[in-house]
Amino acid sequence: MNAHKTRSWRLEKMATTLIWLFLIVACILVVIPLVFMFTAAAMPARDILRMPYPWIPEGFYWQNFWNGLRGPEGTFIFIRNALNSLIVAGTVSAFTVLFSSLAGYGLAKFEFKGRTLVFMLIMATMMIPFEAIMIPLYMVAMRMGLQDTYTGLILPFLANAFGVFLMRQYLITFPDEILDAARIDGASEPRIFSRIVLPSSGSAVATLAILAFRSQWDSLLWPLLVVQSDEMKTIPLYITKFMAETHSDEGIMMAIAVMASIPMIVLFLTLSKYFINKDGLTSATKG
Amino acid sequence: MHRKRGFSMEKKKARWGWVFVTPSLILFAAFSFYPIINAFYESFFNRNLLSLRPPRFVGWDNYTYLFGSKDFWLSVQNTLIFTLGTFLPLLVLSLVLAVFIMSIKRFRRFFQMAFYSPAVLSSVVAALIWLLIFDPRGLANQGLNALMGTAGVNYNWLSTTGMLRLSTIVVYFWKYIGYFTVIFVSGIGSIPDTLREAALIDGANRWTLFWYVTLPLLKPTTMLVSIMAMIQCLKTFSTQYMFTNAGAPTRPINVITLNIYNTAIKDYRIGRATAMSILLFIVMFAFTWLQLKVSRTEEVSHM
Amino acid sequence: MKKTSALLLIALSLLLAASVVGAQTIELTYWTHTDDNRTVIENRYIEEFQAMYPNVTIKRVVNEASKMGDLMLTAFSANNAPDIFNLPIEQEYGYMMHHRVAPVNYKAIGYKDAQDLASQYMPGTFDTVTMDGQIYGLPLELTNWSIYINKNIFRDAGLDPETDYPKTWEEMIEVADKLTLRNGEIITRRGFDFRYPYYLVAMLPMVEQLGGQLLSEDGKTAIVNDEAWIQVFEWFRTWGPHGRNLGSPTYTAARKIFNMDNNDIAMCLTGFYQQGRIRVDNPEFYDSGEWMVVPFPVFENAVNDVGCSYYGHFMMVNAQASAEKQEWAWKFIAYMLDHGWEYLETVNIIQPRQDLLDDPRYMELPYMNVFMDDMARSHMVFLHENGFQFERFIKEAIESVMLSNMPSDEALDILRERIQEVLDDSY
Repeated sequence: MNAHKTRSWRLEKMATTLIWLFLIVACILVVIPLVFMFTAAAMPARDILRMPYPWIPEGFYWQNFWNGLRGPEGTFIFIRNALNSLIVAGTVSAFTVLFSSLAGYGLAKFEFKGRTLVFMLIMATMMIPFEAIMIPLYMVAMRMGLQDTYTGLILPFLANAFGVFLMRQYLITFPDEILDAARIDGASEPRIFSRIVLPSSGSAVATLAILAFRSQWDSLLWPLLVVQSDEMKTIPLYITKFMAETHSDEGIMMAIAVMASIPMIVLFLTLSKYFINKDGLTSATKG
Repeated sequence: MHRKRGFSMEKKKARWGWVFVTPSLILFAAFSFYPIINAFYESFFNRNLLSLRPPRFVGWDNYTYLFGSKDFWLSVQNTLIFTLGTFLPLLVLSLVLAVFIMSIKRFRRFFQMAFYSPAVLSSVVAALIWLLIFDPRGLANQGLNALMGTAGVNYNWLSTTGMLRLSTIVVYFWKYIGYFTVIFVSGIGSIPDTLREAALIDGANRWTLFWYVTLPLLKPTTMLVSIMAMIQCLKTFSTQYMFTNAGAPTRPINVITLNIYNTAIKDYRIGRATAMSILLFIVMFAFTWLQLKVSRTEEVSHM
Repeated sequence: MKKTSALLLIALSLLLAASVVGAQTIELTYWTHTDDNRTVIENRYIEEFQAMYPNVTIKRVVNEASKMGDLMLTAFSANNAPDIFNLPIEQEYGYMMHHRVAPVNYKAIGYKDAQDLASQYMPGTFDTVTMDGQIYGLPLELTNWSIYINKNIFRDAGLDPETDYPKTWEEMIEVADKLTLRNGEIITRRGFDFRYPYYLVAMLPMVEQLGGQLLSEDGKTAIVNDEAWIQVFEWFRTWGPHGRNLGSPTYTAARKIFNMDNNDIAMCLTGFYQQGRIRVDNPEFYDSGEWMVVPFPVFENAVNDVGCSYYGHFMMVNAQASAEKQEWAWKFIAYMLDHGWEYLETVNIIQPRQDLLDDPRYMELPYMNVFMDDMARSHMVFLHENGFQFERFIKEAIESVMLSNMPSDEALDILRERIQEVLDDSY
């Protein structure tokens, strides 16, 4: 009996060690490309593709960051472009949360004719490859006079099928009793939504906000079509433009990569507490 | 009891349902429904994007052409290889990582953050990093040489068919592993502790606990993850686009979306391109519908 | 009295109205590819032009060269294209064939007719942009590529750059092999490498040297002379990782790193304009004179002496712009292009204008004679309505042979099939 217990205890301990080992190795593998980005950004280009890769930069080669900021024309347009990215991603993110939670709430908590159809239609848009509708979408946008404007960059992405799906899934488990109690108290539907439903969807909202922000921060194809002037460009356009310039210096590219990632990292660190939790209990995506 | 009043309240509620859904519906109509209907319409015509000549109605010709085109079937094959090669390992490994994370007591948050961190980078930045890593002089060759105990072997990450496909899968896998791990962790977290405790009292070990308690209860989460992962994989574009722009051969990674883009924008054949996208759309829709249907029955069986 | 004053008032108001209409601003958009040196001077031309004609405003939009074709097509397909643009002639050709661009307004820029305009340029300049006797574009540049050499690296490998430079493609492999440094199989210094996406410009002439053609004379059959194609395919296999391992498209573009003089690359294929870029990127290297330019090689068994094809960028005007806009667009284009010498000096791009070519300073420019001699034995890049598409097919074929080690005849069969399909299917 006792011997059996020690054996299982030993097994248990070995399993725990293996699990830790696995997690640590996996973690290192996943993080290596990020470490590469940060270290390469601090090196002169000639060191980056040296074999073997010198992991520790000899001092901080700040010229990469300075040249990346200055830009090929020396106009510091990067700052303006970063600001554009922030404006576009921020606006899309805020409105996506609003529209998605409205629709998600409507679909989760109200019985109406055609509800399933509406839901299926919205879900179907998730499956449309962007490349397929790029040209008709572009024509719509041009007809509306949206070329080279913030509206043109923002408007087509305010409705987000995944967002509606996520909010619906989250709100479907929201207790009906609370809603009915509020109704009996005479609260209007918009008030119930803004005072009860929205405030208690923190984790879903945070997840959605960060996803919407990220996808706009990421977006390359659409801005490429809609934007014309340098002043309206976003960061991905700045990067591809820089890549194509005569002097595509790996060090500068990595420095730009770091600068382009900073807002996302900050946002991630601030919002992560809502959707990454040690017990995983407060997460939005409950299936 | 208050049948009449209840009925009118239902009606009122239904009205509010529409009110909440309408803003999104209008946006979807303009920027999703209209373009896809337009695309469907275009797929029955031959139109050269550059030409001012009116489009010519060709019926199902674009579709029959595609079914007989080797190039299209190669794209289908590439997309399937990519989807299966990414989707299955992604599903299994993110589940394993989530279970492992939940089985340790400390650093849970740390590990989740670490695995999630690549998802924070934008695709353009990710492609920049990986193109340098896959450069013949880059970390990928250095790492694999060290691992295999070879010296100076060029594993041709961006050139030979198999390696190139593997490279696109690696990039995708790297970007999404943390994302799905976090979803699984939250799924495990929402399993009531009482169930696990009961199982442990019954003498279950880690393995039986996972196999008979955790896994069955995770089915809804698994469904969500598989739908999302599959749609993402079928829609993959940016990695392949960036890699081919950087000199990698097109044929091995010419996935359907890349083919659509090139057929429309480089070959000017909008009809053929839209026919291809409609086919892709139908396949994705079928997959999702199937999975949703399966997952719905599962949900019911739990309750 | 009252009547006359009333009439006067009407006349006056009419005049006022007319002048208001006349002063209505013309807004022209001009899309072009990135080139820092050119941006500086063209922005100045725009300011000068706007100062001369206050009723005209010009919006110059810059995008990187590799995305330009895609963007232009999308804009044209949505009838939202710029008034003025330039693209490589291989791409512009289709725009002309589909009547999307307008013929030159000769009167507006001070010429009697097409002939009068053509007489001011090098003979043959307008051959590719002439349709039904009308000229559809004014050349911004005419460029051909020759081989740039880093003399230091040649000497480092024990070679004399002046005599040992490769004259044939067979020699190219041997010379490059001597220049290449490797760590195992991994190349750390290349002898030479191509500009991979531009197969019509640089690779098709190699086929032509051996007597091959992309299309038959009548333009109805794809691929002439299989042996020539297969020899070139095999040459590329030898060049790539499955052969002598001398270079491949997955390494950094040779032309970009040449300027750095970092002991990465000994030779690259590029145009006269590279000199302007070396001067900006690395003035020390430029002034050191440690670089030189040699002609485009030929095969030992070549039947035709063909150099790298030359290509052009032509300024074109959108046919859907109003007649008035078109007129102003041509005026503006002519104003810019009148600064031929400044384009040559600061951007190093060559406009084939007679006055420029006759200038005694012209041939004295560094290595201009090499470029001119190469151009004399070459021809304009292959042009076809679907040329751009063919280039993509050729790219896929070479990549399959070079990187995926596909047998040459199989790659050629796929290439033939795909081009033939496009030729047979005309809509």
